[in-house]
Amino acid sequence: MVTTVSVREDVATAEPPRSAGRRRARRRTYLWSYVYLAPMMVLLLAFVVYPIVASLGYTFYKWDGIGDPTDFVGLDNFRQIVHDSIFWRSLGHTFVYAAFVVPTQLVLALALALVLNNKRLRFASFYRTLFFLPVVTSAAVIGVVIQLLVSNFGDSINDLLLKLHVIDQRVDWLGDPHFALAIIILVGIWHTFGYNLVYFLAGLQTIPDELYEAARLDGAGPLATFRYITIPMLRAVGVVIVILAVIGTFQIFDLVQVLTSGGPYFSTEVVNTYIYHLAFGGSNANAVQPDIGLASAASFIYGVLLIVFSVVQVLVLRSLAKRRATGGKA
Amino acid sequence: MSSRISRRTLLRGAAAVAGAGAAGALAGCSSDDNSGGTGTKAQTTITYWDWYASQAGWVDNEIKLFQQAHPGIAVKKTTQVSDKYADLVSLAYRSNNPPDILMVPKSPQLSQQVTQDWLLPVDKWATKDWQSRFPQSSFVEGVDMFDGKIYTAPFAAPAPSLQLYVHHKVFKDAGLTESDGSVKLPKSWDDVTHAAEAIASKSGGKVAPFGFGNSTNTTLAWWLDLFVRGAGSPGGAAVGGIDGMDYRVGQWTFGTDRNYADVINLLLEWKNKNWFYPNSMSISDEQARAFFERGRFGMTVGGVWNQPEWTEHKFTDYSLVTLPAPDGNPKALFYGPPGGKFVAVSSKSKHADEAWAWFDWLYSKDAGKRWVEQGQGLSVYADNNDPKGVTFAPFAQYVAMSGTAVVGPQPTVRNPLLTKLELPAVKPDINDVLSGIWTGQLKDVQGTLSSLTDKMNQALSDAVKKVGTGASQKDFAFPDWDLTKPYTTKPGA
Repeated sequence: MVTTVSVREDVATAEPPRSAGRRRARRRTYLWSYVYLAPMMVLLLAFVVYPIVASLGYTFYKWDGIGDPTDFVGLDNFRQIVHDSIFWRSLGHTFVYAAFVVPTQLVLALALALVLNNKRLRFASFYRTLFFLPVVTSAAVIGVVIQLLVSNFGDSINDLLLKLHVIDQRVDWLGDPHFALAIIILVGIWHTFGYNLVYFLAGLQTIPDELYEAARLDGAGPLATFRYITIPMLRAVGVVIVILAVIGTFQIFDLVQVLTSGGPYFSTEVVNTYIYHLAFGGSNANAVQPDIGLASAASFIYGVLLIVFSVVQVLVLRSLAKRRATGGKA
Repeated sequence: MSSRISRRTLLRGAAAVAGAGAAGALAGCSSDDNSGGTGTKAQTTITYWDWYASQAGWVDNEIKLFQQAHPGIAVKKTTQVSDKYADLVSLAYRSNNPPDILMVPKSPQLSQQVTQDWLLPVDKWATKDWQSRFPQSSFVEGVDMFDGKIYTAPFAAPAPSLQLYVHHKVFKDAGLTESDGSVKLPKSWDDVTHAAEAIASKSGGKVAPFGFGNSTNTTLAWWLDLFVRGAGSPGGAAVGGIDGMDYRVGQWTFGTDRNYADVINLLLEWKNKNWFYPNSMSISDEQARAFFERGRFGMTVGGVWNQPEWTEHKFTDYSLVTLPAPDGNPKALFYGPPGGKFVAVSSKSKHADEAWAWFDWLYSKDAGKRWVEQGQGLSVYADNNDPKGVTFAPFAQYVAMSGTAVVGPQPTVRNPLLTKLELPAVKPDINDVLSGIWTGQLKDVQGTLSSLTDKMNQALSDAVKKVGTGASQKDFAFPDWDLTKPYTTKPGA
């Protein structure tokens, strides 16, 4: 910090330098920024970039992770993945999960953020903590508790629902393909919606009170204020929240692995558990040979699909923003 | 200045204290390890890995006895999670930090573990005299020997791996008793159906006749395995690798042997009558065992590993039967290979002699006897498997069943080239398929089984081709096999 100030003083007191000198000074100015960034970059290269590049090499081998890969199979792993109906089914489940979790979470989080943002609300901090608690709770712990609730003590839930005539026979909530994914979606919404709540709260707190006062003076009701002030002012942060929420849901793994391990019969398998089961053997205690090559190919294909999806998402959001900026004439 | 001096003084003081401490510590260490000064022998610690959780009592006792007999050796045991054991061993070797001695992981195949130089041949110690304590044909090329070198040895005799457990109180409450008041144990498929019917009707639906815990996607196959064996299908459904095939024809027969579809349809029939505990697909086997103990259902399929936990909980009110058959007489049995595997010494061990001492101890007749007496399983030494020596009634029932497991054919004995066979996993496997059928996601039972059979046989055919000339699919067929008797595989025949 001190160094930065002194450099600035140097720059400020020096005669206007020539362009090479200015570049040198600027480089010196930003040198510390690069130094601060370096550790993160090293970690990023070691634990993100390198594995991606290395796993690309493995996609061309039949390899169980033991010894060095020697059985070169060319593009056969990609062919197998593309022709594997379970991969596409897993991808479908991942999209279904995202399609339910993202909109539900965003609507709930925004509604709750509006309530918690009310300055007259007492114990607002307590409620914020309460709603954020699931986020800091490990998915493994949540999975175990939910499993206990719906499987071990599922009789009580079933008995209650039978008495209320909601169901006409006992249901194995996590063992029935009609319900298992729905349970995971519900738990997923509850588990991570605290993030979006905090993001929306932060966004709401950046909106100047004067705008609301002016709207009230102009006779706008709560709905009109929400539509014409809150929504437009939240738009920028909203786009970021949507992108983060979508990316987050596509990374779903832990909840599925703990609750159902992708079963029964792949009815809750998502792409990340599919890749995990390929890489580390079966989802059960059987000795199934792991296939790192196949798992790497699946990861690569999923990565490409996600990049394409993200680009399309950004283009669509940009186009919508452009259309709004031009009043829908573009 | 003064502060600098005091800092230096402080540093000097700290260095002096640290030096004195280190010297003291080193002196302390050397007094522990140095046998010369005190006359005590230096102790060597060997690391040992297994996945024996419910058998930990036996292992710990053996370690205690071993250390008493070998005061110079300490065994540091690490029990890993069973379904992650193979991954952890692999990682340990990759990081060049494996244990000195370990239970042989199920994956990769033992032949691959040998070619990867994970394991040390123990021929130096396992002399002919040492080998003679084992039953005949215990050391078999392709099973526990590779290129004529011994890497591991059999610990347990072929055992009836699955049983139908019967809850006495549930049966008695349903009126399922003999004239002498003892529980009426089911022997045929009809007996099982009638028992289930009685439990369902007498309990008013409060107690389920059957239950299992399939969260790890394995136990449903145990039911199929137990019942199809009784009907005469020697491959069963719960055995992984090539030993799960029907060696009479050298192929998998899920789709061609009607017993499989018959048993699945029987199970579905029972399911449609709501005779299974409703959460069976999502609870774990451990949870299912706890529910069985509490009498939430009357019958479950499991192995002898159920018993230690129940004994710990003082639950002994149960019996076990095995291989229920259509007419009560089992047409096929459980089969094990000649030879076998249990523990092996790591090639990376720096204390191979000490590791061998522990290896030798575990394979001793006395350790095997204690294994049986403690209700853990059958011993490779037939003398140890005497039900009369077992005081605990349910385990004595199990020991008395030892005749339902015999040595089966072994293709690698016939053709040692087959040790190079690497059979790829076929997914979805029988566990997945059963789960799909059970949950109604796969409607066509026969079609699904045929498709699985085709894929598995194709995988075998491809794997055999990769072995090269000299290996053929005919090596897996033993048409002269009598399913009710032990089979001796002749090399090259």
